[in-house]
Amino acid sequence: MIEKILARASGRKTVTPGEVVVANVDCLLLHDLSGYLTGRVFEREVRRPMRYPERVVMIFDHHFCPPTEEGARILQENRSFARRWGINLFDCGNGNTHHVGVQNGFIRPGTVVVGSDSHTPVHGTLGCFATGIGNDSHAGTVMPFGKAWFKVPDAIQVRLSGTHKRGATPRDAALWLTGTIGEGGAIYKALEFAGPYVEQLDFWDRWLFPLIVVDLGAKCGYIEPDEKTLSFVRSVTDKPFDVLKGDPQRAFEAVWEWDLSDLEPQVACPPTVGNVKPVTAVLGAPVQWSELGGHGGGRIEDFRLAAQILTGRRVHPDLRFNLVPSSRAVFRQAVREGLVEKLHEAGATWFPPSTGSNQAYNMGAMTAEEAMISTHARNFPGRNGSPEAKMYLASALTVAASAVAGAIADPRQYL
Amino acid sequence: MGRAFAEKVLARAAGLSEARPGEIVDVYPDLYMSHMASWRCIRTLEKLGTDKLYDPDRIAMVMDHISPARIPKTADDQRMCREFAVRKGIKKFYDVEAGIAHVVLMEEGYIRPGMVVIGTDSHSTIYGALGAFGTGVGFSEITAAWVTGKLWMKVPDSIKVTIEGPLARGTSSKDVMLKLIGTLTADGATYLSVEFHGSYTQGLSISDRMTLCNLAMEVGAKNAVVCADETTRSYLAERGVPSGHYAEVHPDADAVYVKSATVDGRSLAPQIACPHAVDNVKPIDQVAGTKVDQVFIGSCANAKYEDLVEAARILKGHKVAPGVRLLVSPASKEIVARTVKDGTYSILLEAGALITNPGCSACAGDGGVMADGEVTLSTANRNFQGRMGSYNAEIYLGSPAVAAATAIRGAITDPREFLS
Repeated sequence: MIEKILARASGRKTVTPGEVVVANVDCLLLHDLSGYLTGRVFEREVRRPMRYPERVVMIFDHHFCPPTEEGARILQENRSFARRWGINLFDCGNGNTHHVGVQNGFIRPGTVVVGSDSHTPVHGTLGCFATGIGNDSHAGTVMPFGKAWFKVPDAIQVRLSGTHKRGATPRDAALWLTGTIGEGGAIYKALEFAGPYVEQLDFWDRWLFPLIVVDLGAKCGYIEPDEKTLSFVRSVTDKPFDVLKGDPQRAFEAVWEWDLSDLEPQVACPPTVGNVKPVTAVLGAPVQWSELGGHGGGRIEDFRLAAQILTGRRVHPDLRFNLVPSSRAVFRQAVREGLVEKLHEAGATWFPPSTGSNQAYNMGAMTAEEAMISTHARNFPGRNGSPEAKMYLASALTVAASAVAGAIADPRQYL
Repeated sequence: MGRAFAEKVLARAAGLSEARPGEIVDVYPDLYMSHMASWRCIRTLEKLGTDKLYDPDRIAMVMDHISPARIPKTADDQRMCREFAVRKGIKKFYDVEAGIAHVVLMEEGYIRPGMVVIGTDSHSTIYGALGAFGTGVGFSEITAAWVTGKLWMKVPDSIKVTIEGPLARGTSSKDVMLKLIGTLTADGATYLSVEFHGSYTQGLSISDRMTLCNLAMEVGAKNAVVCADETTRSYLAERGVPSGHYAEVHPDADAVYVKSATVDGRSLAPQIACPHAVDNVKPIDQVAGTKVDQVFIGSCANAKYEDLVEAARILKGHKVAPGVRLLVSPASKEIVARTVKDGTYSILLEAGALITNPGCSACAGDGGVMADGEVTLSTANRNFQGRMGSYNAEIYLGSPAVAAATAIRGAITDPREFLS
């Protein structure tokens, strides 16, 4: 599928892995930090007109409410850059880059999507070739020419099967795969997620798989679009799109198969995303913070899962539980479903749609002695205040169970 | 000769039969509030060479101003407070999710008529909304009170402010206070005890009384009060505090006031405090049309339940103007719960507001910071240059209704345009 997308985008009949192509880019996603750097290079160094401003989307998500004058200045410059060039702008409080891009119909199957956020490959969930590239590349080739160069990656198929037992969720599967394939286990590959397990997942659960590929070193990840994908895309945009799928007899460099039936809840432990253990290995580890949010969370599904755990229970008094919707649409949906009220009453705190505690631009700094368990995508040292602070990554169920217990807990004991 | 409120309440707290204005008395406050910067008190305490506390039950700590932390230093400070509270058995400890200290402590029923409350925040005058004597002090004073239980004070003279109602359409307690501040000026009541009287105050909601007493700080008040009445008693009763649990203090009918002022609310127009002073007040028609980049509905002055409901009443069915940010920061967790339940929260969200976690938010520089040349219309209580980010930015202060109307139009707008 990736070869077909890149062939079409570069005006060729076919391309083969290893070949370098110059492809037309259909969407460029920027956030407030990368947008600022990209804009400066584009205006100061590149100094050419922008070819397709309508394809450029900037979303303010790291700063959802700037706490510093420097932050305010960056956002102000971004706003005037957006006005000057006529690009799409989503100001503070709309959500995190990837969710806002998808919810507003900028991402469509068969297209080439780039962004400076390293998790840009997540858009492979819609059947795109999507990958993160550098700010200078955006400024130097994407903005003035609408193009970027790529080496065509080899493809590996990850075939998943099985049905989860109680307490395990797709997020646990994604965490387990990160630990199993390993950081650097798929360098510059295109990872296709397939198999009966993937087919039965709904769109936002599928989303969790292409999300992890960058941490495996892959160039991109994707799921071949099916009827579920298409009906999702049609629910967010009425613009036309043209689906591309791999040939039924397509060749892979490798096929990795796993049955997920016996999967337990998983936790990525400090200091890196690949340090994944079953929750039973870290039961009782102290945490003072918990958060549903970030690229790996803040979906409506996460709040529904948390509500299952928090029904009839309260957040532990020694711990704070932050809820950060991934987009304004999710926030509104959560209000409508009564989840905002229910989780607030249980002692959790709602924050504006954004990346939340990600890298602690607006919130989420911890002391050397503190720890957080969250649905975020990364847990590297120093991203949340003190380099000694600990971040554990888990499913919404495990995060909510830990919020109730005041320490890392097994959600199966709460279901 | 009769006594004013401050004289009577301070005499009681000092254990004296009477206290005359100008006299210095040792007062034993009933409650000492300190916010996130309580860590300063803890550090000061360490230097004092004692850690024996006079009465931990009189200590109230609320982690507002910056909540939650975005830098490790703040996280460390808050952790220090948290651990101190556990170590010292301080039960009135509220963490980063609770909201603004003043509002939280009033909701919890800790502020009662006749009390003397000191706080590490200048707007501690707000406690007068429940018939208490509230005043702002420094960290050293709070620390000293932790240890000794007492604080010296000069008994203030009093000013009688009479507000006649009902208020004209489209105006609120905020407009009353801005009008008063504009008339009296920022030092018009320096070190005076401000007593609110008049037909408007009778049966007035606690929320509006909070706005009156909070903003009295901006005329230089030592404290401000709307004396306890049936509204006060039922507010406290709802919070589990029956009237036998406090002793109301009322000024004598023949009390002596060194100054008086009147606001006629019946002919009031919406008022705006213009940059860069709270007493630079103009009626709204003189500044209507001024373009804004941001609208902030927040702070201990105007982010209470009633304020959010008022804003939502105007915003319902409208959208925030393109290019304008509407920032709403509810004052407390309880207010979030009430607004979620009654649909106010949803109306604000649908209108395009960015609703933050409860807390001081942009009023304390915790978000909503402005860049050069930007303009904010805020419901907070201060508009000094540089208070919300850039020194080259402007803050206009107005009521929640003005804020809502302004958010819809993207320029300062008279809310009466939206009232049928």
